[in-house]
Amino acid sequence: MIVGYVAGKGPLHEAHPFTGLVLAGTVVILAVALPAPQGPAALAVALTALALLAGLPRVLLTALSFSMPVWFFLGVIHGVIGDAPLRALTVGAQIAAILIAFLLVLATVHPARLVDALLQRGVPFSLAYLLAGALQAVPRLRRQAADIVNAQRCRGLRVRGSVWRRVRAIVPLAIPLVLGVLGEVDERAMTLDARGVAAPAHRTALKPPPDSIPQRIVRWLLTAAAAALIVWRIAG
Amino acid sequence: MSALRLEEVWFGYDDTPVLKGVSLEIAGGEAVALVGRNGAGKTTLTKLVVALLQPRSGMVRTGGRITEGKAPEDVARLVAYVFQHPDQQLFARTVWSEVAFGPQQQGLSRDETRGIVGDALEQVGLEAHAEVHPYVLPAAQRKLVTLAAAIAQRPRVLVLDEPTQGLDHAGVDRVAGIIGSLTGDDVAVLAVTHDLAFVAEALERAIVLEDGRVAYDGASRELMLDERKAHELGLEVPPAAALSAALDLTGRPVKVRDVVEVLRVGG
Amino acid sequence: MSVRLGGVSFRYPGSDTDALHEVSVALRPGEVTLVTGRLGAGCSTLLLVMAGLAPQATNGTRTGEVTTLDRDPATRDGRKVLAGRVGLLLPTPWTQLSGMSFTVEEEVAFGPANLGWRRPRIAETVEWAMERFEVAHLARRDPRTLSGGELQCVMFAGVLAMEPEVLLLDEPALELDPAGAASMYEMLPSLAEERTVVLASTDLDRAVAVAHRALLLDRGSLVADGPAGEVLGSDGAVATGCSTTIAEIARAVGLTPGYPLTVADAVQRMRR
Repeated sequence: MIVGYVAGKGPLHEAHPFTGLVLAGTVVILAVALPAPQGPAALAVALTALALLAGLPRVLLTALSFSMPVWFFLGVIHGVIGDAPLRALTVGAQIAAILIAFLLVLATVHPARLVDALLQRGVPFSLAYLLAGALQAVPRLRRQAADIVNAQRCRGLRVRGSVWRRVRAIVPLAIPLVLGVLGEVDERAMTLDARGVAAPAHRTALKPPPDSIPQRIVRWLLTAAAAALIVWRIAG
Repeated sequence: MSALRLEEVWFGYDDTPVLKGVSLEIAGGEAVALVGRNGAGKTTLTKLVVALLQPRSGMVRTGGRITEGKAPEDVARLVAYVFQHPDQQLFARTVWSEVAFGPQQQGLSRDETRGIVGDALEQVGLEAHAEVHPYVLPAAQRKLVTLAAAIAQRPRVLVLDEPTQGLDHAGVDRVAGIIGSLTGDDVAVLAVTHDLAFVAEALERAIVLEDGRVAYDGASRELMLDERKAHELGLEVPPAAALSAALDLTGRPVKVRDVVEVLRVGG
Repeated sequence: MSVRLGGVSFRYPGSDTDALHEVSVALRPGEVTLVTGRLGAGCSTLLLVMAGLAPQATNGTRTGEVTTLDRDPATRDGRKVLAGRVGLLLPTPWTQLSGMSFTVEEEVAFGPANLGWRRPRIAETVEWAMERFEVAHLARRDPRTLSGGELQCVMFAGVLAMEPEVLLLDEPALELDPAGAASMYEMLPSLAEERTVVLASTDLDRAVAVAHRALLLDRGSLVADGPAGEVLGSDGAVATGCSTTIAEIARAVGLTPGYPLTVADAVQRMRR
């Protein structure tokens, strides 16, 4: 399961962080606005190809494991109600496309690069850092959850066996996990202060991500396409 | 039947071996220190003992049960582990429920649990804080909560990771006292620690890990009185023992109490 | 005087007792000042007040005057001017990670980058700091894969890379093994040559060898301030458990105050 940054060398890794973000945003719009069901289906296929091209087949597995329960649910609903199966296919494809896009962004955009890119554009450091922190929240929570679960297993907590048992086991951990992370955020904020974050100077970007004309063009095109699509759907 | 036994255990993360053929045996009632430089493999060894990790080769037998193929929850009745940082372990809403977790997992009745938890809290001196949220307590007391929770498991083997870190004199004395009473009940205690002064007071045997191998396994006081050897192994002789050696005190005591006694009597 | 406190009291939010009470002290560069006391005496709080983080980041109320490098560190202006000039190191390394670095090198460069220094200057200071703490060989590693001790040395390098004039260290060697802790403490006097170094520590057996001056706190109040040997060797310090093991032994044996603090001192005294 991959949720969070993974080091690598594919085209998405090399790309400017904004390109990835624009891509994700565009996918959401395309998924919703493209004519169903061919649109979302084609989008899902295109993103699968992109994931493979970016050297991240494991992202597909993760997207699959998150989507499966939703697809199962959809199948049941449409089966029971007898609604058009095409509708189920559409929603399924939309979910898959959006999931893959977001997981790809999480996996290929490193928080530090994103912050550097935002700083280059003049975004205040505190805002940029907040965004970077959000990107890291999920992997950090996962690691901490794993630590606590291990500790409780040593006290006899049973985690193998039925899914229900596993869920019941994790629930009591939710609160301390959040408390722990929040407490950490507090202490981290304090130490950040001590590391010059309040300095009036404009932060030096250590490795500003290189941008290129082709990427800029791609971003403009994607944004334009998304905007045009919205207008077309509203008008028609 | 020994309480804990490792036979030619090899373990590594990826390709780098961390433990290279470690063998040791601890009997019930023994208080053993596991010392060595950071990176020598101490914490890895403790994780193998509780089945959080499996050896690449060799055998680990905890509380009489071989850990191969077992998960930590399978050996929870036999061994309890107190992690170095309590915040990695605390999860309940009150001190009481935190400590009661172990006995509950063991399927004990409410009455039995109540007795055990009360007892454990008394041993760590936190009876008055039973209904408090663990995160409200200062760090030192949170540490004692996790110790109480481990005691409440009534294990045959107790593994402690840096039990005195962050504690004041009173706290350290209390932990030493608890170890004493546990070994009196035939529990085997294995403590990973850098605090050699604490070793002198509470742990009569020391196993030193150096680069993944056992470099010393014997009486802790012997190690403490041999400054050259201690330095070789990256350890520091605690002040009481150093004084004892420098003044050539009768019987070469290493505990603070004993050094004081001998000095009062006249050396 | 680089750090001056005049009648400072500080209370954390929601607390009904002062964490610091009427503390007055003046520190100067060129010496290592030890701050010690029992757990909860206010040592960490004192450092936070000197850095301005109490009350700025912790909230709570502060009375009295605090002047660090001629500014009040808790005010907005003070923070801006003092950024990077007052370095703070806490006991646990993971919560000090910026979360923004691929590599150890970037982590150490985090502070200097925030100060807006040019890249060549950053590279130079980062290299120097990593050499000083012997973590240069870890430069390309992901900070999250380091051990507690290694990471703490990296964080110290990161603080030092900002070239602070005041260095506030709260139990800096807590995560280190004895050899590592000894190395770190041994470095302090030379660091103090050009800076004001304040060390909050309960590891007095180790601290006694490197501290020039000592401040003893008891429940928030400053009860002693003077040369380290004098403060730690006094009856008050030893009786409350705020001194070295040797001093405690000396007192228990019946020697008179002005207790010996090290084995060498004790041997001298007892051979008489």
